[in-house]
Amino acid sequence: MKRTVDVSIPVGPVHPCWKEPARVKCETKGEYVLSAEVELGYMKKGIERIMRGRPWQEVMFLAERVCGICSVIHNMVFIEALEAISSIPVPDRAALLRVVVNELDRMQSHILANFSYCYTIEHETLGMYLLDVREKVMDELERITGARVTCAYIVPGGVRFDLRAEDALHLRANLAAIEEEITRYMGMFENGPLIALRSREIGILTREAAQEACAVGPTARASGMPETDRRLRHPTYQKLGFTPVSREEGDNYARIMMRFQEVLQSIALIRMCLDSLPEGPIRGGGIPGAGEIAYSGEAPRGELSYFIKTDAAGRVLDIAIQTPSIMNIEACCHYMLKGVASLADVPSTFVSSDPCIACTER
Amino acid sequence: MSLLQRVKNFVRSKSIHVAYVDVGSCNGCDIEVLACLSPRYDIEQYGIYVHNNPREADILLVIGAFTPGWEEKLRSVWEKIPDPKAAIAIGNCPISGCVFNRPHSLIDPPVAKHIPISAQVPGCPPRPTEILSAVLAVAPVVFKDYEVKKR
Amino acid sequence: MSGYLYEKDLSSMKYAILTSTRHDRMVREIADDLGIPQLRLRRYIMDQFDMLLMENLPARYEQGKRLTAEAPAAERDLKTHLYSRAVPLIQEEQMECIFSRVKEMMENGMPEKEAVSAGRRLIREAILA
Repeated sequence: MKRTVDVSIPVGPVHPCWKEPARVKCETKGEYVLSAEVELGYMKKGIERIMRGRPWQEVMFLAERVCGICSVIHNMVFIEALEAISSIPVPDRAALLRVVVNELDRMQSHILANFSYCYTIEHETLGMYLLDVREKVMDELERITGARVTCAYIVPGGVRFDLRAEDALHLRANLAAIEEEITRYMGMFENGPLIALRSREIGILTREAAQEACAVGPTARASGMPETDRRLRHPTYQKLGFTPVSREEGDNYARIMMRFQEVLQSIALIRMCLDSLPEGPIRGGGIPGAGEIAYSGEAPRGELSYFIKTDAAGRVLDIAIQTPSIMNIEACCHYMLKGVASLADVPSTFVSSDPCIACTER
Repeated sequence: MSLLQRVKNFVRSKSIHVAYVDVGSCNGCDIEVLACLSPRYDIEQYGIYVHNNPREADILLVIGAFTPGWEEKLRSVWEKIPDPKAAIAIGNCPISGCVFNRPHSLIDPPVAKHIPISAQVPGCPPRPTEILSAVLAVAPVVFKDYEVKKR
Repeated sequence: MSGYLYEKDLSSMKYAILTSTRHDRMVREIADDLGIPQLRLRRYIMDQFDMLLMENLPARYEQGKRLTAEAPAAERDLKTHLYSRAVPLIQEEQMECIFSRVKEMMENGMPEKEAVSAGRRLIREAILA
């Protein structure tokens, strides 16, 4: 609800800690934040408006560019929605390769989010360590898909490139190194006394508040809602026997630890995929046809939904995208920021929810 | 050339402060700029320091096609940067609008309409090394003998 | 000339958010349900909500509808949760006030259906006021 206030301290849109522009207006009493209001409109490109009436071959690349950080999942959800509309089968090998690439993408996104948080609480050393590990993940993404960001790897009926044997070997070796380093940095984060001072008991999101704001992804799972993970409902993940992890604290610390845990989980998932990767084709046939569907997938930040309507030629007649950041930033700004004890915690709390303004506004 | 000017040239070539501003991209270029910070590319070994504060910056990296929210604000960010300064457009979006430059979109590219752009790095997104080399290539050209040129 | 340094008219951006497919559907449904002209409702939402809440409205609306369906009869018909918590069109205290008046009417022997429609009228008046 909008109110006229006496002291409203704006943070942003250009802020040293934020990757992207948004403006948070904090209503404060002394340093105590009473409520926060957000002003967007710095990233609104109108992607959904551009997408309408275009063939899926074009929309596919636009969908990827809704968010550059989690581009793989946007690609995957859009293509899987098309496949569900026109019942295009996916070969087993391709389905597993999709999981491999998606989990690599999730790893780099989570590591980047944790880097941002460490950078915001001025723990640059840990931040730089994390950024260094992220480059290893990016290498693997590039080795498999051919591009670091926006790789358009997933196409209807399969994937673009096969995983070569030497790449698989390289991936396994790199995963071992990444796992070792992430475990070490997780320990550093877990046991750092100053990190705990800046993170524990700050920006608490209760389970009820998370439900009301429809929070999703690591933000919700850090508040004890493991059932929000869409991977539980994805056939390939079900085959892999995926079970989500969750924490109960709901503070900044829990959200960051949650992402560390999920990175380790992703590593385990990729290993499982590599172990059970069958020989066979990576691309079947199929032509996207007419239909209407609401399809969801688990992006690094949470549940991502596409509502698509296509015609017989595969043109997208109507589309609506609900990205996870919308819900998470809302949960952050209207629930977590309420009662933050100091303005210095506003940027760190904001960053801990892994905000992606490009997703939010599209 | 005076001794003072030579000292200034030397100092400026070894300490370039960079701010980046996202005026409506997909985030892909942002994370490539962030990747420049990583120990692998190690932007600081060239004396480039990224800290995203326009008031102490020398170079502004502009990312993204121009959205209506930035109408007057980008100009004011640009005016806050002290002279000598330069703006570099990162990625296809500030140059042409890339995939977003279609009917019904809200953007208003190119960014060069709104602030003077000294260099462009095309790519969707460009690699961190390209961003790095662009900054290193532009800085000496713009900052060398700035006081002499101004006269 | 004096003026706020950064404050800017946001209504065109807010309108751009409200015209997306799902927002539009939601606004139509609420407007039909409460009997408010769509334009008035849009204007009201643009005045009252901040942009982030507006972006999140469809998700909150769907969630609110689910929770409302599980609520006890009178609350379900009046959609108290939906209009005060999920889509905060009116404040919670105001909603409680309206709900208690509806309960009072029901206790005084008014049939439930009439009482609920009277309550809905109160909500509409609160929004249009």
